[in-house]
Amino acid sequence: MIALLGLVVGIALGLFLHPVVPIWLQPYLPIAVVAALDAVFGAVRATLEGIFDDKVFVISFVSNVLVAALIVFLGDQLGVGSQLSTGVVVVLAVRIFSNAASIRRQLFGA
Amino acid sequence: MPAAAQTRSRVDAVPQLLAQIWDEALDPGYAAVAARRSDEVDPSDASPSRRRRRLGAGLSLALVGLLLAAAIVQADASRPAVAQRRLDLIARIQAQTKRYDAVTRQAAALQADVDRLKSAALGATAAGQLLDQQLGRLELGAAQLPVIGPGLRITLDDAVTLGPGAAGDPALGRVLDTDLQMVVNGLWAAGAEAVSINGQRLTSLSAIRSAGDAILVDYRPLTRPYVVLAIGDPKTIQAAFTAGPAGGGLRTLQQTYGVRYVVQGAASVALPAAPTIELRYARRVAGTQGQGSP
Repeated sequence: MIALLGLVVGIALGLFLHPVVPIWLQPYLPIAVVAALDAVFGAVRATLEGIFDDKVFVISFVSNVLVAALIVFLGDQLGVGSQLSTGVVVVLAVRIFSNAASIRRQLFGA
Repeated sequence: MPAAAQTRSRVDAVPQLLAQIWDEALDPGYAAVAARRSDEVDPSDASPSRRRRRLGAGLSLALVGLLLAAAIVQADASRPAVAQRRLDLIARIQAQTKRYDAVTRQAAALQADVDRLKSAALGATAAGQLLDQQLGRLELGAAQLPVIGPGLRITLDDAVTLGPGAAGDPALGRVLDTDLQMVVNGLWAAGAEAVSINGQRLTSLSAIRSAGDAILVDYRPLTRPYVVLAIGDPKTIQAAFTAGPAGGGLRTLQQTYGVRYVVQGAASVALPAAPTIELRYARRVAGTQGQGSP
């Protein structure tokens, strides 16, 4: 309940406050969003399987976002930023799909 | 878990790495904590630390929403910027082209002044008059004077109905720089003495090339339709052009890609002078005489 409220409040804040993203942070924003989505889908699946834990979620969310941003940052420094971004997105997308498939099975039994 | 077994068999074909990512999609931390918790007798749900963690999850999700909205707003805001940059570039190209035209016109006016003064100065003496005549012939040959005479008018334009070779790709129905090169080469081969494309007189230094989708003649972009004028022997030039390789090439272009063209003989076509040709590095070989006739 708190979680859902948090999500709604966050989106509302972002849409209405128009936070100015610093220019150095902009390349990492899309990747961070995908990483955050991965953590969210994992949390939803864990909730449905009855093993959700707040601490695990917070840690997985923060570390996901930081590691994804760090990989892209390192890639940019090494000149392979776009390739590494692609790699990160592929891995996270596969995880999101897997979790979404599991959520679908839990919810609809199919 | 039957679900896991099911996915397992489905992903067996994909590389091991992706299969592992798929299988371990759920953070293993959840399972580990759940296993630890089941060992405890009664996980009290109301303990203060537990409530604090709830709040942490809520805050994290708020952050997720914030990130999501910020990214969307960001992507939305940067889209007009790209379009704006494109418009700026187009405006700059148009402004520079206008400036080029103005400067060229100014140069032509100044050149006319120079010619008049030159003729006046040379006309004073008999030797000067002879020199003036010789200069006139040279300038005629070097495309430095407007000319008029019988010849050909060739009009090319992009395809309206694509030919069989361009099915599904309108870009293939477009007139290319190489097409214009072919036409101009065909005209020279057919005995043309002067050629212009869309009012741009071709000289010994002219280049027909493309930049992006635009065709440039001497760095000036052309817009369709492309009108090529040529002066030559009225009795032979049209037949020679049509029978030559360029005529055949045009027919192929029309049949294969649907490119439209018209070749017309003309009793009189007028071609403008080219901008002054300036040779900065080429010098006359010592001991040779300039020829008076083109």
